Amino acid sequence: MNRDRRITPLVFGAPALIGLAVFLVLPFLMALVLTFTDQRLVSPQPGAFVGLRNYQRLLSVGALVQSPERDRDTAYVRVRAVTRSDPAWRGYRPLGDFRIGARRVTILAKDPPFLRALGNTFAFAMMVVPLQCALALGLALLVNAGIRGETVFRAIYFSPVVMSMVIVSVVWAFLFDRDLGLLNQTLGAISFGVVRPVDWLGNPATAMPAIAIMSAWQGAGFQMLILLAGLQGISQELYDAARIDGASVWQRFVHITLPGLRQTIVFVLIVTTIAALGLFTQVDVMTGGGPRGATATVMFEAVRHGVREGDIAYGATISVVYFALITGLIVLQQWLMRSRARVAG
Amino acid sequence: MLSTGILQRLATFALCGLLCGCGPAPRQDGRIDLILWKNLAGLDEEAATSALIDRFNAVQTRWRVVAQSLPQGGYDQSIVAASLAGRMPCVVAVDNPMVASYAWAGHLRPLDGEVPAPLIAAVSPAAVGRYAGKVYAVGQFDAALALFTRRSILARMQTRIPTLDRPWSGAEFQTLLERLKAGGQYRYPLDLSTRDDKASWWTYAFSPILQSFGGDLIDRRTGATAEGVLNGAAALRFGTWFQMLFAKGLVDRSEPDDNAFIKGRAAIAYNGNWSAPEFQRHVGNDLLVLPPPDFGHGVVIGGGSWQWAISRTCAHPDGAGAFIAFMLQDAQIAAMSDATGNVPVTEAAAAMSRDFGPRGKSRVFFDLMRRFARPRPATPGFSTVANAFTTALRDIMDGKDVHDALDDGTDDIDRTIADNHGYAAK
Repeated sequence: MNRDRRITPLVFGAPALIGLAVFLVLPFLMALVLTFTDQRLVSPQPGAFVGLRNYQRLLSVGALVQSPERDRDTAYVRVRAVTRSDPAWRGYRPLGDFRIGARRVTILAKDPPFLRALGNTFAFAMMVVPLQCALALGLALLVNAGIRGETVFRAIYFSPVVMSMVIVSVVWAFLFDRDLGLLNQTLGAISFGVVRPVDWLGNPATAMPAIAIMSAWQGAGFQMLILLAGLQGISQELYDAARIDGASVWQRFVHITLPGLRQTIVFVLIVTTIAALGLFTQVDVMTGGGPRGATATVMFEAVRHGVREGDIAYGATISVVYFALITGLIVLQQWLMRSRARVAG
Repeated sequence: MLSTGILQRLATFALCGLLCGCGPAPRQDGRIDLILWKNLAGLDEEAATSALIDRFNAVQTRWRVVAQSLPQGGYDQSIVAASLAGRMPCVVAVDNPMVASYAWAGHLRPLDGEVPAPLIAAVSPAAVGRYAGKVYAVGQFDAALALFTRRSILARMQTRIPTLDRPWSGAEFQTLLERLKAGGQYRYPLDLSTRDDKASWWTYAFSPILQSFGGDLIDRRTGATAEGVLNGAAALRFGTWFQMLFAKGLVDRSEPDDNAFIKGRAAIAYNGNWSAPEFQRHVGNDLLVLPPPDFGHGVVIGGGSWQWAISRTCAHPDGAGAFIAFMLQDAQIAAMSDATGNVPVTEAAAAMSRDFGPRGKSRVFFDLMRRFARPRPATPGFSTVANAFTTALRDIMDGKDVHDALDDGTDDIDRTIADNHGYAAK
């Protein structure tokens, strides 16, 4: 009996567990081994162990402090001239700089594109998760309002989800076009030409928000379905009681709908965040990581190095570091939630 | 290494499923099947290659070529997977810049000895894939880049029509572009097909311009560094010029579609011979096909398209060689050109072809290829070189400091060369 109880779950879990082991755990362990080598996709030379070289290249950062050249106040020696001649800074590139008095401090890194991509990815998540979840909630409330043709609307809102992301990206690249795009034409028309055409995907400031808007539109249908299921799980009696008590629409939303959806919303937030951190297709199709690296993401960098340049060891290093980072965040979040629950309890 | 072993076994497993499942049933006429892999490029090319293979099989008693088409997008990965698994086909189509990489990795067998030397000698140099002094691949056709514009535009601008012997200088070209822009009719007078952001296009299209300025992707003599070549004085001039094109609004950083020239949004298009039929249809006799400008070191266009090679593991290289020798016959090259509009690679085949003969309507592309085409550098690190160059150039387009961008590209390339121990032979 006792033995059965231990074996039964394993038997039932086996198909999934074997799948996970073969397609997730094993490749990850292989990737982990690869990170300590210089393995290439195409090479007659056997891969050799290189210790932590890949990690050093990925994560090294430093700061270069420069005083202005004597005769003029604002002229500094070119940073790249320093990093390419001074052996101590070999392999470093500028990530950004700031001034302290007359001195210029340049933050250097061995792989600034990766660090920028890391920042871009989290910035994207910060933009797209609230936007997409709010949009999904709005759509779910609309569809749930009991208007005629509910099923039709549900199908329409869900349709972008089943479309190929590549196709959606191509279409939106047209919509975002500076001169001929629908978005700029509309903005220009409704503002009588006051709003100048924005180069949505060509301006470092707007490129990532543009991709976030498009991604939210594409993905919201999926979260809408989940939230819809959550909405329909809230007892109608609660609403009836609140209406009798004279609660307004807003009060009913804040005090019944939101608390009733709490678990669903947490789930939707987590799922959306995971999807957002894997951003790749839209970037690859719409911007190629540009302009000037403003939309490059971690996955994009991993594919660029690991597959397109054949440096599979470095691509694996990016993936492993990213995995560690996300795992760390999740552990931290879990710990925070648990300690908050303890305080509340 | 442990992980490679597992990887190889996995890839073998996956590939065996593919090949064993789709392989042809053996036929009982004593002929030996040779598997051939080609990229799916387009319907015309697909049909023309199939017809070529049929003609070869019809005259053969010893060999039969069995073709398998693979999507072009994942073609490179398929070759890598097949080579890891030791299941390479006998004859493979290879994109010219990748020849060095595959040859260095030991996937290909030199053609010397398998294909008669006089046949290869007749082929335009850029259509021959060489690495380390040996010929590894040879193409039936090539492509040629040119400037396309309208006769009426140049007449209106009172600009001389350049010829192959007297192309525009960089300054003339610059003056024309700025006058076109000032005229107000064209928001972006020049279309560089920047809509395509893939490294293959950017390297193919713009590294020849870099060469015309006097720079290059890497030092071709040694193949060991990009220092002083990709970030030297000539390259800085090229980068500054390229940045100016976008800063002054002469070129759009991302064309919304491929129709800027035929719709009249752009006055001049920098594009390949493959666009010529489309341009001809819309512009008619007003169309002018011109050599790209000479920026000081002669006109340069990219050379080298898809080529044929024999894999190292091919059990019957003599059969594969017979196939390649067959398709290098002038009549076969001319037939391919007639069917696809690609530029034939030998003088005699051009004369036999419909459009590329001395008076043919597409002759200019053959002349451009013969006179100005230079292959991209034959380095096993080409994919890194192409990515580094493209990243640098796109950053320059978007306003990054030219010197910094080219230094970044140079460092990327040099580090990869060092990581691979200078691409020393095994």
